[in-house]
Amino acid sequence: MSAPSITNFIVKRPWLKRWMTPLANWYTDAAGYRKLGLKFDDLIPEESETVQKAIKRLPAKEAYDRVFRIRRAFQCSISHTLLPANEQIKPDEDKEYLSPIIREIEKETKERAELENLVVRK
Amino acid sequence: MLSRSSLCRNAPRALSSGRRAMASAANPTFQYDVSEAAGVKVANREVGGATGTLALVAKAGSRYQPFPGFSDALEKFAFKSTLKRSALRITREVELLGGEISSSHSRENVVLRAKFLSGDLPYFTELLAEVASQTKFADYELKEVVSDLLKYKQLAVSSNPETVAIDAAHGVAFHRGLGSAQTPSQSTPYEKYVSGDALAQFAQDAYAKSNVALVATGPNSADVSKWVGQFFKDLPAGASSSQYKVQPTVATQYFGGEQRIPSKAGNAVVIAFPGSSAFGTSGFKPEASVLAALLGGESTIKWTPGFSLLSQATKDFSQLNISTKNNAYSDAGLFTVTLSGKAEQVGTASKNVVDALKKAAAGEVASEDIKKAIALAKFRALESLQTLDTGLEATGSGLVHGSKPYQIAEIAQAVENVTEQQVKEAATSFLSGKATLVSVGDVFQLPYAEDLGLTV
Repeated sequence: MSAPSITNFIVKRPWLKRWMTPLANWYTDAAGYRKLGLKFDDLIPEESETVQKAIKRLPAKEAYDRVFRIRRAFQCSISHTLLPANEQIKPDEDKEYLSPIIREIEKETKERAELENLVVRK
Repeated sequence: MLSRSSLCRNAPRALSSGRRAMASAANPTFQYDVSEAAGVKVANREVGGATGTLALVAKAGSRYQPFPGFSDALEKFAFKSTLKRSALRITREVELLGGEISSSHSRENVVLRAKFLSGDLPYFTELLAEVASQTKFADYELKEVVSDLLKYKQLAVSSNPETVAIDAAHGVAFHRGLGSAQTPSQSTPYEKYVSGDALAQFAQDAYAKSNVALVATGPNSADVSKWVGQFFKDLPAGASSSQYKVQPTVATQYFGGEQRIPSKAGNAVVIAFPGSSAFGTSGFKPEASVLAALLGGESTIKWTPGFSLLSQATKDFSQLNISTKNNAYSDAGLFTVTLSGKAEQVGTASKNVVDALKKAAAGEVASEDIKKAIALAKFRALESLQTLDTGLEATGSGLVHGSKPYQIAEIAQAVENVTEQQVKEAATSFLSGKATLVSVGDVFQLPYAEDLGLTV
C-alpha cells in the first residue's frame, strides 16, 4: 500500500526532524486535500484487498464520516470550489484512522505467509 | 463357541451382579485428585498413558449469561487471537504439536478442551490460561469469524426438530435461567447485545479464578498443579460490576406448560417432567435415571427392540425415534421423553408414552424389567463419568458449583438401592404434577396435552 518513504530516516535524527517539520507542514498544506475536506488516510488507494478489508473493519461512525468526506470532496471537485475555511480539515484533525488497521492486516498477511512457508526441523 | 449349558450357567450370575463388588470402584485410577493451585480448583486423574487431556470448565453456560448469545459467542471466541499470538499461530502450533483443541458450552458451563501428547502438558496449560485471560475479543473478529460460526450453529440447531423441542421444553419448564435457550434461535435479536467489549467484560467474570475448574486426565498430579500454579496465577479475580457479568445463581423453579412450534424441518414431541438434579446435590433422585432406563425407547443391543417399555410399545412404528433422558443440572433436572419421525407416528406414539407411564405408576411392570433398568441406569451413570467427553465436564461442573466431586462407588450404590416402590412413586408424581409438552413440526397433526391426558 505504502510508497517508499524516508520518514523513519528523518524521525530517528532529531536535528533533521526539527529542520524538516516546518517544511513538511507547508508541503502537506500546499497539497490542498485538506481544503477539500479530506484527511490523508482518505487518499490511500482503496483498490487492494488489504485496504478493502481495512475499510470493512472501520467502526460504523468512522466509515460513515469517511464516505461523507469523500462525497463532499467530489462535489467540490465538480464545482471547482474549495470548502469555506471553517469546514476545511484542520492539521490537528488530520489523524491516521485507517493506516493502523492496514498495518495490522499487513502484519497478519505476513505472518500467514511465514507460517505457510515454515520449515520444521527436528 | 458358547454351549447352551454355559449360557444357562451364566444367566443367573448376570442377573445377580448387584451383590458383587464393582471392579472399577476398587480401582484408584478412576478417582480424581482434587487440589487447588494458584486459587484455581484442579481435579486430576492419573492414568499414565501416552496422551493427556486438560479441560477448563467455566460456570458461564447459557444459564448464567447476561444476554442471549453470550455463552455461544464466548465458546466460539476460544482459541481466537490473544494479546500474545494470533488465532492462526495458535492453530498452526497445535497442529505441529499434534494436539486437539475444542470448545463447547452447555446450559451451565463453557468448556475449553485440549488433548495432547503427555510431554506437551506445559504448552497446553499455558494455552488454556492465555485463552482464558488474554483473548482480544476484537470487534472485527466477531464480525468476520465468530458471528458466522454462530449463524451456522443456529442453522444446525433450527434444522433439527429434536434440539428445538428440547430447548423449548427447558424454556417452558424453567422460564429464565436454566430455561434460557442454549443457542439463540434464528429469530432472536441477539446481535444488538453482543459486541467485542461486552464479551470481554463477560469473559473477565466468566474466567475468574473462583468461576473455573481445571480437569485433567493422564498426566501426573504434581506436574498438573505445578504448571497450573505457574500459568493460571494471572487469571482475573473477577467480581466486576458491569452489566455484562456472569449472572448470579437463582434457585430454579419448575413451571411446566405447553408450546407448539410449526417447523418444516421435521416433527418432534418432547414430553417432560421435573427430574433429578446432578449427583451430590440435594435434588438427586436415582429413581429418575432408573425410570428413564425403564421407559427407554432406544435399544442398547442391535437388531432387537430391547426390554424398555417404550420400545416394546412402539416396535411397529418403523420411522420413529424415541429416547428418554434425565437432564441433570446443579439444582434441578428435566426428565424428557423425545419422539421424532413422521407426524402421524409421533402423534400416536405420544399416547403410548403416557400409557407406559401409567403402567409404571400402577406397578404393572415386571420386576425383572426394573432390575434390567437398574443395571442399565448404573451402567450409563458410570460410563458417562468414564467417557472423556461427558466425564470432564461433569467433574468440573461439580467443582465450580460447589457440590461434592463425583464418587463412582457412591453413584453405583445409589442407583442399586432404588426400589420398585420408588420407581412407581416417581411415575405417579409425574402424572399427578404439571407436565411440559412441546410439539415441533406439523402442528396440525401433533397432539395437544389435553389429547394425551396430561395436565399442563
